[in-house]
Amino acid sequence: MIDTSTGSTPQPAFDPAPRQPTAESLARWLVQHVAAYTRLSADAIDRTAPLTGYGLDSVAALSLCGDIEDEFDLAVEPTVAWDHPTVEALVAYLLDALGPRPETA
Amino acid sequence: MPYRLAEQLEWNLGDPDDPGTLFSHARSLALDEREEFPAALCAVLDQFGLYEFYIPTAHGGRLADYEQLVQLVRTVARRDLTVAIAHGKTYLGAVCVWVDGSAEQRRRLGAAIASRLPVCLALTESAHGSDLLAGDVVAEPAADEAAGHLVSGEKWLINNATRGSLLSVLCRTDPAGGPRGHSVLLVDKRDLPAGTYRHLDKVRTHGIRGADISGIAFDRAPVPAGAVVGEVGHGLETVLKSLQLTRTMCAALSLGAADHALALGLDFAAQRRLYGRSLIDLPQARRTLAESAADVLAGEALALVAARTVQTAPAELSVVAAVTKYLVPTRTEAVITALTGLLGARAFLKDVHAGGRFQKVDRDHRIVGLFDGNTLVNLNSLISQFSTLVRAHRRGTGDVAGAAAAFRLTAPLPPVALERLSLLARHGSGVPAALPGCLALLRDAAARNPAVEPALRAAERLPAVMDEVHAEMAGLLDARTEVPPAAFETARRFTLCFAAVACVGLWTHSHLDAEAGATGPLWRDALWLRAALARLLTALGLPDAADPEALDGVLDAARALHAERRLVSLLPLALRPATPVQDGPDRPGVRAHAHAAGGAS
Repeated sequence: MIDTSTGSTPQPAFDPAPRQPTAESLARWLVQHVAAYTRLSADAIDRTAPLTGYGLDSVAALSLCGDIEDEFDLAVEPTVAWDHPTVEALVAYLLDALGPRPETA
Repeated sequence: MPYRLAEQLEWNLGDPDDPGTLFSHARSLALDEREEFPAALCAVLDQFGLYEFYIPTAHGGRLADYEQLVQLVRTVARRDLTVAIAHGKTYLGAVCVWVDGSAEQRRRLGAAIASRLPVCLALTESAHGSDLLAGDVVAEPAADEAAGHLVSGEKWLINNATRGSLLSVLCRTDPAGGPRGHSVLLVDKRDLPAGTYRHLDKVRTHGIRGADISGIAFDRAPVPAGAVVGEVGHGLETVLKSLQLTRTMCAALSLGAADHALALGLDFAAQRRLYGRSLIDLPQARRTLAESAADVLAGEALALVAARTVQTAPAELSVVAAVTKYLVPTRTEAVITALTGLLGARAFLKDVHAGGRFQKVDRDHRIVGLFDGNTLVNLNSLISQFSTLVRAHRRGTGDVAGAAAAFRLTAPLPPVALERLSLLARHGSGVPAALPGCLALLRDAAARNPAVEPALRAAERLPAVMDEVHAEMAGLLDARTEVPPAAFETARRFTLCFAAVACVGLWTHSHLDAEAGATGPLWRDALWLRAALARLLTALGLPDAADPEALDGVLDAARALHAERRLVSLLPLALRPATPVQDGPDRPGVRAHAHAAGGAS
């Protein structure tokens, strides 16, 4: 049998973020996800408030790492939303982690 | 084989039916009646050296094989769940240090356990239950920061809070709280000044009545800087990873209780006569016993796979542990309830059948579903992993090689690597991902032996159910704050599917070796697999999943094993030595060695 646990191939994103995300596009993408999880409208999400304040508990917040990996083909720690607990902090982290990426064909 | 040492422990403890044995059923019942802590029975386990198996080999102990630990704990739990919990709490208390502690903490704790000091884990508080982050026990930096922390507040409903010498205490270290606001502190009561802590009274309980379930109140208790386990603020991460290990171990407690209840049911049905026949010959009684035996074997299969996963795929334990901690205690409770129906009034009477042991097993086991994350907590843990699981199912990811190594009981386990534990199984679990490969093996087996075909037909239904359950999960991905009841039902169905695949995996990877052993009749023609799948598919609500022929066969095999004084188990475990043990029950530190009697190796 083949171990398929490593080197999973990225799937085409459902609603792809721009190839070179900006702070604003990242923030919109994150707000959209948090709003969906919490069943709130995007307007209700304060980008500087802790995500846990919206009822997203710490264990549920772990699954954000999978969304980030799916969207940006970027492996992040499951605790990324614990260490960067607001939309704003996550944006700063992601901008840094994504960096200027080499163009791929 | 890892279960050989459990057999040694069983023999070493002596015949529990003989009141002259120190660790006898009679003594367990008497202690329970008096709600007395089973100190003398814990001492018997100490003499055997059981505590050495709570310490990893790297830190001076003998824990190198989690399957072996499951079998040892199951052996004690089978005799007396109260004792297994009272003694095993040291493992629970220590595990945070094994997961995240410093070399110095591990060395010191290993030495403390080796000198037989009890350790406990202090998580819960009276006002907050399972909500780990709501705790009010605080650890403030001491005035001189190099001096460490001052701990204040109350931990309540803690096993061994009073008797434990060392405690792993989850404390708030950031006044704002949050997932990075808590830390685990290893508190050594022996070092605390008088007046900085006091014990809270033992809580009286309906089950495990002798256990020390109490509390501890700290009042600016000074703990040194070296007491923080892992990084400051990383306590929740440490605890959640540690619980993956302890939840896997809880299956051993349930299996032990199930073993005990099933044995009482088999004895009762053989002895009891109704309408001129043995109860065992009445169809309804046979069915109850057969279903119970099949459920116990399915639970054992899942527990074996889970225990081995600790070493074969630690990064995926977040899924496997939650499935196991939910399903094995829940199914065991159902087995005990069904057997209660069989025993009728005798299940409740104290002295009529087997001295009233059944009602003690029933009471004692209820705690297993409650502690260490109750059933809802574990289902919720799976619900929060739905998106990962759905993605993994779509892509077919998961550590299939790790799962195969867990399924193959004769495969040596890789060394323990707790640093690979992860809060989230990023690529899902290799167990569900292994299904296509396992089905291919089962098809081969059925081509060689037509008697395997019914098992194959049942297993062939799994891919469609898996697709269906994952489709349900995909429809619930936004359920991360207000979890709807449907999500719990979907998570429950996932655990049943997972267990079914684990059974198929275990049989396909281990049957060739096992068929030659003393439990061969259960393995040949995939008998236990048919019965287990029938039970799990029925619980999943699939029509026409029943397999009365396989259940009948499992009951016959179970009765034969029981009559030979072997455990009703997938593994050949003799409950009595072929020749009497020469040494007394106090022989210390029996070492593992292969025994000649019918091994599956």
